[in-house]
Parts: sequence; C-alpha cells; structure tokens
Amino acid sequence: MTADDDVVFVVDDDERIREAIVELLASHGTRCVAFASAGDYVAAAKPDIPSCLVLDIELPDMNGLELQGRMAGGDHPPIVFITGHGDIPSSVRAIKHGAVDFLSKPFSDVDLMAAIRAAIARDRQVRSVRADLGALRQRYDGLTPREREVLPLVVSGLLNKQAAAELRISEVTLQIHRRNIMQKMAAASLADLVRMAQRLDIEITHSRRTTEGRS
Amino acid sequence: MTAVLPQQSVLMAVLASVTGIAVWELAGTPFGLLAPVSAVFLFLRGRLVLGVLGGMTIALVVSGLVAWGHSGEYGEIAGLVAAFTATALCIGAMIGAVTSGAAHAGALLGAKVPGRSDEGASPGGASPTLRHPDDRPAAAYAAARAFWTSVPQVMRYRHLQPDGSCRWGETRSNPEPSASVDADELATGKEQATTSVPDRQPASVADAIQAAKVIEDLFGNAWAFDAEGRWIYLPQFAQATLGLTPEELNTSRDDGRVAWHALLHPDDYERFVSAWHRSLRTGEPFHAEHRIRRATGHFAWARSAARPSYDRNGEVRGWYGTSIDLDVYKKTVDALQERERELTHLVNMVPSYLWRLTADGEPSYFNNRLAEFFGMDIPDLVDSRATMLAAVMETLVHPDDADRLSESLRHCVATGERFNMRYRLRRWDGVYRWIEGRAEPLRDQLGNIVQWYGVSNDITEQVFAENALRERGRSLQDLIDALPVNILSFDPLGKLTYASKRYLEQVGSPLAHVDDFNALAQDLAHPDDFPSMFKRAAAGFANGEAFVNRFRRRDRQGVYRWIEARAQPWRDPAGTIVQWYIVSVEVDEEVRAQEALRAAQDDLARQSQAASLAELSASIAHEVNQPLAAVVANSHACQRWLTADPPNMERAQKTVERVIRDANAAADIVSRIRALFRHAVETRSCETLAGVIADARDLLAEEALRRRVRMHIEVDGELPPVALDPVQLQQVLVNLMRNGMEAMEATAGERTLRIRLRRVDAAVQTEIVDCGPGIEFPDRIFEPFFTTKGHGMGMGLAICRSIVEAHGGRIWAEKSEAAGATFIFTLPVEAKVAA
Repeated sequence: MTADDDVVFVVDDDERIREAIVELLASHGTRCVAFASAGDYVAAAKPDIPSCLVLDIELPDMNGLELQGRMAGGDHPPIVFITGHGDIPSSVRAIKHGAVDFLSKPFSDVDLMAAIRAAIARDRQVRSVRADLGALRQRYDGLTPREREVLPLVVSGLLNKQAAAELRISEVTLQIHRRNIMQKMAAASLADLVRMAQRLDIEITHSRRTTEGRS
Repeated sequence: MTAVLPQQSVLMAVLASVTGIAVWELAGTPFGLLAPVSAVFLFLRGRLVLGVLGGMTIALVVSGLVAWGHSGEYGEIAGLVAAFTATALCIGAMIGAVTSGAAHAGALLGAKVPGRSDEGASPGGASPTLRHPDDRPAAAYAAARAFWTSVPQVMRYRHLQPDGSCRWGETRSNPEPSASVDADELATGKEQATTSVPDRQPASVADAIQAAKVIEDLFGNAWAFDAEGRWIYLPQFAQATLGLTPEELNTSRDDGRVAWHALLHPDDYERFVSAWHRSLRTGEPFHAEHRIRRATGHFAWARSAARPSYDRNGEVRGWYGTSIDLDVYKKTVDALQERERELTHLVNMVPSYLWRLTADGEPSYFNNRLAEFFGMDIPDLVDSRATMLAAVMETLVHPDDADRLSESLRHCVATGERFNMRYRLRRWDGVYRWIEGRAEPLRDQLGNIVQWYGVSNDITEQVFAENALRERGRSLQDLIDALPVNILSFDPLGKLTYASKRYLEQVGSPLAHVDDFNALAQDLAHPDDFPSMFKRAAAGFANGEAFVNRFRRRDRQGVYRWIEARAQPWRDPAGTIVQWYIVSVEVDEEVRAQEALRAAQDDLARQSQAASLAELSASIAHEVNQPLAAVVANSHACQRWLTADPPNMERAQKTVERVIRDANAAADIVSRIRALFRHAVETRSCETLAGVIADARDLLAEEALRRRVRMHIEVDGELPPVALDPVQLQQVLVNLMRNGMEAMEATAGERTLRIRLRRVDAAVQTEIVDCGPGIEFPDRIFEPFFTTKGHGMGMGLAICRSIVEAHGGRIWAEKSEAAGATFIFTLPVEAKVAA
C-alpha cells in the first residue's frame, strides 16, 4: 500500500520491541530500519526519501525528547513517539515541538500505522514544497542583478513609469527587464510573479501611493 | 621703839669714834682708837665680823709672839699692840653678841620680806617692798600656803603710794608646781590682811637647829643648815633613808657645790641649786619641788622649804626647814595624768567620730578625728549664728538632711530617747559623706540629762554597697518580672513562699486556702493532666529530685494553656532542702505546633507512601509493558501475516514464538513482583545454601566470562541446611553477584568476585565481595528506587532485602578493607530444621 520510495526509522533500546515493530511494519509492507540508540540513528546514513522516525522516549544514551530538540531546525523526518509510561507533560512537549503522535506501549497496530502514514504524508508534502521552492530559487538565481532590482518594484505594484523613475532608467528599458523577468521566472501573470516573490521572501519595499506623493 | 634704833646707834657710834680719835690725838694713847673700832663692830654683819675678829686674833697672836720673843723697843710695841688687839677683840665679841639679836628682830619687821611668789602674779606688778609692811608677812605666808597646798592664794594688801599713803590692792599667789586640776582659790578677807606674825615669832635669837626640831615634832622630818649652807642637823631616820650623814653630805659643800648635791636628781639640779643659792644669798624663803635620792638609789618626789634664822643683829645664822615626801601624791598625779593622756589619746585615736552635746543639744566637744573630718573644731563654729547647733546644721550637714537631722535631734533632746540616724556631713574637702550617728544621754542621779555622748561613723562605702545591693536586688526583681516565665517558690512543706509578678498577672493571686502546692496544682491543672502531673511532682518532692511537668494550666481567663514547669530544689550547705523553685514556661504554641507537625508528618508519610506506591507501580508498569508491547506488536504482525493473501505462515510462526517468549517474560516479572510482596513461605525447603550459590554461579558464568570477571567461591564445610526458597535466594544471589560484576566494569586490574559462605553463631552468612569503587551510601542502598546506576530501577536490592528478611535473615553492605563493597546476608539456622 505504501510506495517503495519511503522508509520508517525505528529507535528503541529494547530488542524485543524493535523486532516486533520491524515485524509489524514488514507485515504492512513498509520498509523499515531499526536502531538501538539515538547515537546509532544520528550516525547512520539515511536515504533522501520521504520517511518517518518512530522514537522511544527512554533510551540509554539520550532521551527521545532530547533528540527531538537537537534535531529541531534542521530537516528531519516527522517523529512518532512511543513510550512505556508516558506522562502528560512530556507528551504535550513532544507534540508542541512538532511530533506527529505520542503512543503509549502497548499500542495497537492501527494507531501506529496511522501515525506512520500521517508522518510520511507530511514529510512527502514538506519535501514537495521544499522541491518547488528549490526550483523557484534556481530561476530567481538566473536573474541579472538589474532584474533582481526591478523585481521588488514590480511586485510592489509600482507603475512602469514609477519604477523606471525609481531606478532612473527609461520606461522602455524597464519594460524590457520586466518581460525578461516574467520569462525567466516562468510566471504566467503578474499575480503569479507576486506569489513567487512572496515564497522567495522578497520584500514589498515600495508603494504606489508614496511614490505618487513623492513625484 | 624698834624703828629708831638704827639712827641712835649710828649717832652714838659717830660720837664714840670722834671722842676716841680725839683722845688718841690729844693723849697719844692708842686705846683711844678702841672707840672707833667698837663702832665699826657695831655695824659689821656676818662674815665681816668673823673676818675682822679673825684678823684681830691673828694680830693678837702675832704681836703676842713678837712681844714674847723680842725684848726692847720692838717687844714693847708688840706688847702694846697685843694688849690693844686683845681689848678690841673683847669689845668686838661683846658688841657682836649683843647686835645679832637686835638685827634679827629688825629684819623680821623691816626691809627684807621674802616671797617671790608674789612677783608677776600680782595684777599691779607691785614690788613687795611697796606693800605696807604690815601686809608683808601675810603675803609670805600666803606664798608658803600656796607652795604646800598647791592652792592659789588671793589676798588683799595695802599698796604704798609714792606720797606715803596706802591703797588696797589684790594679789594672787600661785603654787609653784602647777596643778592639773581646777582648785578653788583661797581668798582671804581684806580686813584679815595682817596677822599676828610679830607676836608669833619673838625677836629673839632662834637657833636653826631648835627651829628644825620644832618642825620635826610637827611633821616628823626637818633639817637645819648653817648660813653657808652646810648641813647642821639631819634626823636619824633621814640619815638612814638617805644613807648619808650630814658630814658626808657637807663634803660636796666643801668642794664648792651645794650640800644637797648627792641627793638631787640631775634633772632638778640646776633649778634647785639656783633657788638655793638665791635664798642663801638673799635670805629669801626657799621653796622647791624636787626628787631626792634615797639610799636605795631610787628618787622620790619631795617638797622642801627652808627659812632662815637670824641672829639678834638680823644676820642669817642658819636655815631650818623640812622636806615632805610627795612621792605617792606625785605618782598618783602622774598616773592620773597618764591615764587622762591615754584616754584623750583613745578618744582621738579611736576610728570613730566622738562628740558631745550639752543637755540642750549644743555641740560641746569634737574628738580630733571629727575636727579633722570637718576641718574645724568647736571654737571655729562660734560665729554670728544663734547657736552652734544652727551653725553645724547650716554649714556641715547636707541641705537635704538638715531638717530631718535637726528634727530628730530636737526630738531626742526633748524626750531623752536614744539618737540614731543616717545623714550626710560635709567633709573638709567639701565632699558629703554618709554618716551614721548615735548618741545616748548621760543622766545625773536625779535622772536629768547632763550631756549627750555621741559616736559617728563614716558609712559612705557601706551606703554605696547597700545601694548597689538594693539596686541589684531591684534589677534581679526586674529581671524576674521581665523574663517570660513564671517563677514560684515553695518551702519544703509545700507552702507557697513566692510568686513572680508575671505569674500573678497570668494566673491570678493564689487564694488564701490554695497557697500550698497540692491545692494549687489541683485547682489549676487540667483535670486530665492532673493525675500524671501530680504523681511526678509528688515523686520529685519525696526524693528531692528536680522534675519537669507538662500540663495544661488554667489562666485567669479560665483558659487552659499548655505549660512546662521545671522544679529544682535548693539546698543549704548541709544538703537539706531549703526551698523549691519552680519555673514554668508557656509552651502552648509549641505543643500545638508539635501536634500540627505530627499531623503534617503523618500526612507526609502517607503521601510519600502513596508516592512510592505510584512510582513502584510506574516501574512495574514499565517492566511489564515492555514485553507486553512486544507481544501486542507481534500479535498484530502475526495477524497480518495470517490474513495476507496468501498467508505468510512462516513469518506468522516466527512472530507467534516471539509472542510466547515475551508473554512469558511478562508473566515472570509479575510473579517476581508478587514474590516481593507476598513473601511466600510455602515454597521453602530445607537445602544447603552452597547448592544455590553453585546454581547462581552457573547462571552467571557466561556473563562473568564476557565481563572478564573471575568468580571465587569459598564454602566452609559442614554447614547446616536452612529453610529457604531456592528461586528467591537464587534471585538474591544473582542480583548481588551481577551488581558486583557491574561495579567492576571500570576496574582496571584483576576483577575478582569472591563469594564466601560460613557459619556465624546460629546463622549462615554469605558475603559477596567485589573490588569495584565501593559504595557511598551503605545505609540507603537497600531502599526502594535508590540507585547509583545510570539506568537502574532501584528495585534490585530492595527486593533482595525483602527476600532475606522474609527468611528471617539480615542483609547489609560494608566497604571492603582494600577497595570495593561487601554485601552480606545471613539466614538463620532454624531449630525446627535441625529437629
């Protein structure tokens, strides 16, 4: 049911648990890699495919929550926590820091599989967004310096005339830049370009109104 | 009659001399010269007469010898001269015999009146010669009386004025030795100035010796001297007392000193001799008080007086007089004076201030010390003030005390009551000193107060000390009052003797009928507390031992409050209990706080029990959940494999095996936990511990190999079997041995685990010794959840203890001698097993 292009990482110090989860996931046809400690997991080379981390909280070398804190900020697979005696504060903390689910042992396969699926779906989505943005950034990188100057003015909604005045170039020259930008960024319309600029975190620095006031 | 005699004799002498010289001139016969020679004899006195007579006798002898030896003209002239001198000598002797008696009578009435005692004492400074002649003898007698009686004599006399008239004056004769007592002066009336002296002493030649004998008749002692001061009479008894005869005494006169020389005390000598010489020279009566040496060598005081005796011509022929022994009198006086001196000394030296008041309360005497204290004496007090007492009050008494003191003195003087008071007096340096004064009246036979005698002492230091003591007492009282305790004291019979102010404030005054301990306790102690409190107190009182009681006491509002009362006996040096002191402190809040604390502790205990239960259950849950979770996951997997199309039987089989394995593990844990709580005894059997140890070693052999630990087991022979649960004991041994191995994880050298089994008394003791780092908390290590390992549950050793104690044994840990820890447990050798 899941595609081959995803993987589940399992970290638990109890070998019996590891075995059982691996077996369960295998019975569901999910690819799975198990580690006995957080250190082993961190050290291991992981394939760049949508994935999920099933993490025990009580680990010999590092607490699961601690590992979550360490990885925060970087790209890491969504986490599903499993614990022998989960308490409310640690579960709240885990969810707040972005965990997909927090399961108490013993857990049902339905709950575990649902959490794993949700996690992988989330990772898949994150990955596609990340991939779109990468393409967009690549296109943006293809702009000339002058075009990168022009882009904020255009997406700010300035008239060609105003933008040209801002850059002290002729309106015709600006129109050429603008057309090039639209082409290079593969923007279907100005609205499309504006959305792209927003995703690229390009700031809207000018307003047509203030520019009018100043002219 | 007697007054014209000198002038007639001079005239006759002149006439006779002129006639005789005229006869010698005219007739040429030397016998004419007899007349002037006779006239000369008429006027010669004393030694001169003797000298002239002597000369004539010599001339007679010489001329007689010449006339005898020579013939012719020289012999004739010498015979003439001898005849002449013989005749003149006869005439001279005849005239001398006649004139001496006349001269004596004339002297008594005439020019010279002895009596030096007059001089200087008479107010007018009148010379005796200026007295009326009739008064002179009286004056002389007065002087003599003064000498013998030591009583001053006052007499009236007539004073001769330059114009020949007389004026009455008064003279006073003081005795030579001054008396230390006041004596009434003996005054003679003015009309009795003259006495019958002329009649008493007839103008006749008085023989000194005869006079002396008359005096001796009267006084038992008298003596006589010749005119030159030689002894001529000394009674036999006197010679015996003095041990000297007049002849022996006179030898000193012959040597040029006075005849008294051998008898006089050196200290008296000068005075005596000058008076003696004066009297001999002038004929004045002799008076002296002096010491006389007796034959024994002792000196005795005497008073001596001498009077001259005159011949008819008024020439002194000799002296008569007497010496009266004054020794007893003098010594008595001296003793009295010495006593008086000592008394005065005493009065002045006694370290108190002595004083005297008149019957009216006026100061009349201060002893030296008091005068020195004031810096002034009685005479200094006399000033413008009304009375001396007023002066004292004003100048010497502290202004704050003056009124009180005068009032008290006035009261005492009025009533005759004894005076006793404390007041401040100003010392000479202006410092006021505290004085305690006491005085008592001296009364005469009629009971009238004559004087007040007082004694005062400086009690400044004492007053300061008393004040300090009082101050201390007060501050102690303040302290007792200020202390937040109640203080009571009881006498040995249990009678209340003191209750501090705070007690009275808090509890109220003890009623009259409850002032002994028993009644007080019964009245005030809470009925529930009274029996135990009273029992303890009674025991304490009976044994004389301090005791402490905690009980509720009713205060004056009727509220019972907890107090703690401590009683302590106070003993005198003999050990007898004099007083019981009880200090009670309110401990109401403390007691209530303690109750609250106990409640809180109970709460806490319950809570911690609950907490440890919660933790225990959490641990158990974790232990059990692990295999259960595996079982569940495997079961799901198995189910998946079985429902797959086609079913994967191989994988299903594998997962089922795992399910069985893990479920068994969970069951095992549960059973172990049950064992921990149940302490089942039914599974016990009689076995030797050595077998269990061998089993445990076998179980751990592989792990020991892996950990490179050498296990060394020593078992003493002939150990009795003990009742034990082999599974539980194996669990204990495995746990302890595994702990030991884990402890040696970091040990670099040889890792040896020694297990030793031996018998100690009625028990079998097992020791597991490792050589790891040792243990830090041997006492706490057996508590549940206490762990020193990174991830241990802290249940292992708790379970061990639980098992060992369930077997009636004991388990503990020690630090090994070298390094590492030793865990020891014992199991008792049971009697029933032996049987």
